[in-house]
Amino acid sequence: MTSTVDEPPKVDPHIAPQADHADQTQTLIGHIAQLRAWLFLGALIIIFEIWSRLSFGGTFVLSPFNWQSIAIFAVAPLLLAIGQTFVIISGGIDLSMGFIMGLAAVVAAHMTNLAGLYMPLPFAMLFGILVAVLVATIPGMINGLLISRLKVPPFIGTLGMFGVARGTAFLLAGGTTVPVKNEYFAMLGNGRILGIPYLVLVTAVFVLVMHYILSQTRFGQHNYAIGANAQAARRAGIDIKGHILKLYVLSSVCAGLGGALYAARFTAGAAQAGEPLLLDCVAAVVIGGASLFGGSGSILGTVAGALVIAVIQYGLVFLDVEPFWQFIAVGVVIIISVLIDQAQRRFSGAKQDE
Amino acid sequence: MPEGSSGFNEEEIMERRSFLKASMVAALISVSAYASSAQAQDKTFTIALVPGLTTDAFYITMRKGAEAAAKAVGAELVFQGAPDFNPVTQVPVLDAIIAKKPDAILIAPTDKDQLIQPLKKAHDAGIPVITVDTFIGDGIYQTGAGDAEFPLSYIASDNVLGGAIAARALAKAVGEKGKVYVSNVKPGISTTDQREQGFKDEMAANHPGIEVLESQFNDNDANKAASQLQAVFARNSDLVGVFGANLFSALGAANGVQQAGQTGNIKVVAFDAPTSIVDNINSGLVDVAIAQHPAEIGYFGVMSAYAHLTGNSIPTAIGTGFTIIDKANVADPDVAKYIYSD
Repeated sequence: MTSTVDEPPKVDPHIAPQADHADQTQTLIGHIAQLRAWLFLGALIIIFEIWSRLSFGGTFVLSPFNWQSIAIFAVAPLLLAIGQTFVIISGGIDLSMGFIMGLAAVVAAHMTNLAGLYMPLPFAMLFGILVAVLVATIPGMINGLLISRLKVPPFIGTLGMFGVARGTAFLLAGGTTVPVKNEYFAMLGNGRILGIPYLVLVTAVFVLVMHYILSQTRFGQHNYAIGANAQAARRAGIDIKGHILKLYVLSSVCAGLGGALYAARFTAGAAQAGEPLLLDCVAAVVIGGASLFGGSGSILGTVAGALVIAVIQYGLVFLDVEPFWQFIAVGVVIIISVLIDQAQRRFSGAKQDE
Repeated sequence: MPEGSSGFNEEEIMERRSFLKASMVAALISVSAYASSAQAQDKTFTIALVPGLTTDAFYITMRKGAEAAAKAVGAELVFQGAPDFNPVTQVPVLDAIIAKKPDAILIAPTDKDQLIQPLKKAHDAGIPVITVDTFIGDGIYQTGAGDAEFPLSYIASDNVLGGAIAARALAKAVGEKGKVYVSNVKPGISTTDQREQGFKDEMAANHPGIEVLESQFNDNDANKAASQLQAVFARNSDLVGVFGANLFSALGAANGVQQAGQTGNIKVVAFDAPTSIVDNINSGLVDVAIAQHPAEIGYFGVMSAYAHLTGNSIPTAIGTGFTIIDKANVADPDVAKYIYSD
């Protein structure tokens, strides 16, 4: 990670009070924002519980079946949202995630089938997942290089990659879905232990690791610093180019894992697997307290954001509400969430990008 | 599909189909007789096929049927389309095709109103238009009434009938009683709307023991379709069946049944039959699949265009059939040939 010539000389981050200060403010806001998403979720659950008891005399929240269903529903959008959280905190956005997920799903299906001819099925499954995630990092790396080295705006660069990944995935799939024949892979996608689906367990572990990386490591701190003030971060000696590259590779790994798990669950790889999830994942990050201006947000907030969307979409079907209200409800929650965010910023006196 | 035919039962449709096939063959024989006896036909006809979207096993299989027919009559087939089912992306492709002046255009219009003017351009340029799978206007052509009657023919499965067949299969599978619902993509797509309508009409008319709950729309997201099934089941513990009106609706609903631990208790009827459906039927995730015959649509599309170009008259509508696939017949080669191959 050497800095290039045109960058200012490297300074020890500890003697750069500006960045430190920004960090602390952002962390504080992050905590409040994180709490906000969980409060939102709590309020939503209470409303749905009352509604459920009034409308048909049964419980919504005390049914383990409902929670299993909501958790499994939230897995795919949450995996994308985790990667998106890192990117949005840095002030960028990754529009290509949906089709990188589709690409990974197709690759996982093909490779698991292929490897199954040469090795025992459990290894074939692991091989398929590994190759899928590795292939997913290729578009991630190209995104990172375009954005960090060639100064392509993230919105445009990843929009281009959206098309490239989409076309590649459909070409690899021959335009159709690719069935997987591997009972272990199917078990990973649909089995459960003590009533908890494997997919939910895998996702929970992944979330904890990502939470640690964002909140406890230098990589995570740099991410906040770059998003809050890229100039200051550069002056503080952070290798921005190297960081951005790693960042988009990380988001593509999340999409890759999402795609592999999709293929496991539906025992088929589909190029369009992640297409409808892109907006849901951005919405989860925003409801979770991240600002699209960068510098704030958290993994746990995003978890709450993804759960809010899943609870609304599942709950409104459960409560037998006309389907089109779901779009309106999610839209309203996003707007309220951003309004609260803006109000908080004014209240806490944080610098605002206006 | 033109009005009136939705009232036909399967046998009538099959009968009509074989009649049409017979007349088609007769027409073709006379065509080749004409071609060989009179002046030799040196011109190679170029026939363009514009699918609803390029990334779908249904249209890929249709292309295969069209290619087989093109090869048989020595025509050249051009296959060009957009990656998603949307007039905004289909119209530019159509314009590019019109600019190259093919001898005939076969198209699956992505919207029954928005494609009228773009196709009129082709018609005005003297290019014959035949619609396959979907239609423009009301799908009744060559009547002289309205502005969307200019296509020569509409060749497709009757989706209302397909929905009715699905309803009968599901009613039988669940023993004629209990609650069911339709897992659908989104409103406004002519084919899936018609399947839902056919399903509901058949249930209302002939299956009094079955209650059809409100339809759920999943935006072609299998994950959402699965979650919706679980939510509907959580609310209605007496749910006994679901009709998935397209691939992802059915795939998602089937996974929802599995996640809910209700495999076998909640029956799943799927519309369309991609290769993955075979495994789903064998593993019991899907109980019945209704296969359309896209290759047949492509074949008769090209044959009709060729017949017209060589001076023969063609029917204004050709209805292709369905095949019902379940665990009992999925291994039968006569049935397996209707699974969409890639």
